[in-house]
Amino acid sequence: MAVKTEAAPYLDVFRPNAGEPAWLRDARAKARDAFVARGFPSRRDEAWRFTNLRPLADKPFEPGHGKLELKPGSLPKGAWFASMARTLIEKPEIARRAIGESDLAGGQPFASLNAAMFADGFVLALDEGVTLDPPVEIVHSAGDGSINLRNLIVLAPSSRATIVERYCGEGAYWTNTVTTVSVGAGASLTHVKVQDEGPEAIHFGMVRAALEPAATYRNFGLTLGANLSRQDVQVAHGIGSIVDLAGAYLQRGDQDTTNAVVVDHAAPGATTRELFKGVLDKRSHGAFLGTIRVREGAQKTDAKQTSRALLLSDRASVDTKPELEILADDVKCAHGAAVGDLDKDTLFYLRARGIGIDEARRMLIEAFVLEAFETVEQPELRGHLAARVRVWLEAA
Amino acid sequence: MLEIKNLHASVDGGREILKGVSLTVRAGEVHAIMGPNGSGKSTLAGILAGRDGYDITRGSVIYDGRDLLAMSPEDRARAGIFLAFQYPVEIPGVNNMYFLRVALNAGRKARGEPELDAGQFLKTVRNKLKLLEIDDDLLQRGVNVGFSGGEKKRNEIFQMAMLEPRLAILDETDSGLDIDALRVVANGINRLRAPNRAIVMITHYQRLLDHVAPDFVHVLSEGRIVRSGDKSLAAELEKTGYAGVGV
Repeated sequence: MAVKTEAAPYLDVFRPNAGEPAWLRDARAKARDAFVARGFPSRRDEAWRFTNLRPLADKPFEPGHGKLELKPGSLPKGAWFASMARTLIEKPEIARRAIGESDLAGGQPFASLNAAMFADGFVLALDEGVTLDPPVEIVHSAGDGSINLRNLIVLAPSSRATIVERYCGEGAYWTNTVTTVSVGAGASLTHVKVQDEGPEAIHFGMVRAALEPAATYRNFGLTLGANLSRQDVQVAHGIGSIVDLAGAYLQRGDQDTTNAVVVDHAAPGATTRELFKGVLDKRSHGAFLGTIRVREGAQKTDAKQTSRALLLSDRASVDTKPELEILADDVKCAHGAAVGDLDKDTLFYLRARGIGIDEARRMLIEAFVLEAFETVEQPELRGHLAARVRVWLEAA
Repeated sequence: MLEIKNLHASVDGGREILKGVSLTVRAGEVHAIMGPNGSGKSTLAGILAGRDGYDITRGSVIYDGRDLLAMSPEDRARAGIFLAFQYPVEIPGVNNMYFLRVALNAGRKARGEPELDAGQFLKTVRNKLKLLEIDDDLLQRGVNVGFSGGEKKRNEIFQMAMLEPRLAILDETDSGLDIDALRVVANGINRLRAPNRAIVMITHYQRLLDHVAPDFVHVLSEGRIVRSGDKSLAAELEKTGYAGVGV
């Protein structure tokens, strides 16, 4: 078997766990093989051309440690919310759904690596008609090395939930998460993630969501931390399902972040709204890649993608790559992208009322960013995200 | 209070717009600056408030003994200068009430006065709202977002009422107002006339002056004040047009 150089260190530390069920051992071995044969994505790979993997290739991580904290609030009957480790033992039939064909095929190398290596993660599963309120929360704080988390969210038909993930830590480490999401017919999931990793960290997050008819999936991401980060969200629509993808990334120093979203309309009558807001200061770099695929037969698709970025410094930069592939003829698709600085006239208006220039800039940046979270239904959650943004702004 | 002496200004690196404006404004006075389009009225307003994009090539502006042109826009505002914008800016995502409270407290802090808490602030707002016949719900929106032209102008005067400036410069505040809105806005301005406050109204037309009687009227033409007089000058302009006064 040919092993790519940058993948070799991870092969060396791979240890099959004899205590695991056969299906998992088998899947891990296949995923490992897929990863080592493929290696890291290269910049020739269209989806990775804006992500600099050099730091990761140069300095491989040993398997590391983190602390996973689950805050269930009060769980109703018919709700399962537990660690992946526990789910593998107590509910293996659910846990199994966390690994899919794409993990074994090698098209997504870091997802394959994750499948081979993960030790834990979280699982949220709701039975039909169950409503989870208030939101459940997951906090992961990383310590060192490479940490692979495998997460799973399964909502049976007509259930509802809001889940908030937060990632933080200290030191040089690499968090690599893969989250499989399944939203049943008429079910509704609000999925919030705050990436607030330490300044030396690397963070990769991959979400793969499959929607059944009339399901609603709202994904909100706030990217603040890590030196290098990437968030992938891939959604497959059901008939008449609704997707709301919004993200804000705030970066400074030499931070680098990519948001790559792929929404696949294979079924008719589905709606997609994407809104991504970037704030880039100092020498930071951001990228947004947005693919909307409308397959033949996905008539009455209604999709809109918006990406906007503020460059606060001459040395900051952003790459935006919208991609609409439309094979149906009766659809509404629109996309728009804009990059700029704060509006001079607006800034002057605030200053002419006595508001100092720094405060005025903060107010305008905050307003710009928070537009991404306007469709978060719970006011306290919106307030929480706003508070995180304010902390970032005031740390300048 | 305000002393403009031989002010020359051009648009950054471009042509000269003000060619020697001199004007003295004392506390308690209401001045009207009239003039045809392109005469430099809005440039003068912008320079007084500290808008950038102008080169001051000659002259001086002294406000309360200080060199106004050396002050930042926010310092001017905190020192009591208020510009009612000809085109108020819409600021989505910045709540009107929040904006006003930050502005008000920035001024109070600079003057060494205690900041208003939410309750005190709300009380002040309620009092001033009546003056301008503004709906409560407009204040819960983003600054000027979804406001009609008239509502934006009313909001400017409402902000003036809240911030209680010493020198208010009203740039074409009457433009785009229907007759009812004009009456409300004029009423608000009249209520804000005070012995310690000066008001400079910049306008193309006479009609605002029918409602707010100025003490002095100046005609600005091609960057200079070519005539000054009392309010009868405005009436004369209305009759003869700017050509009739030699412009």
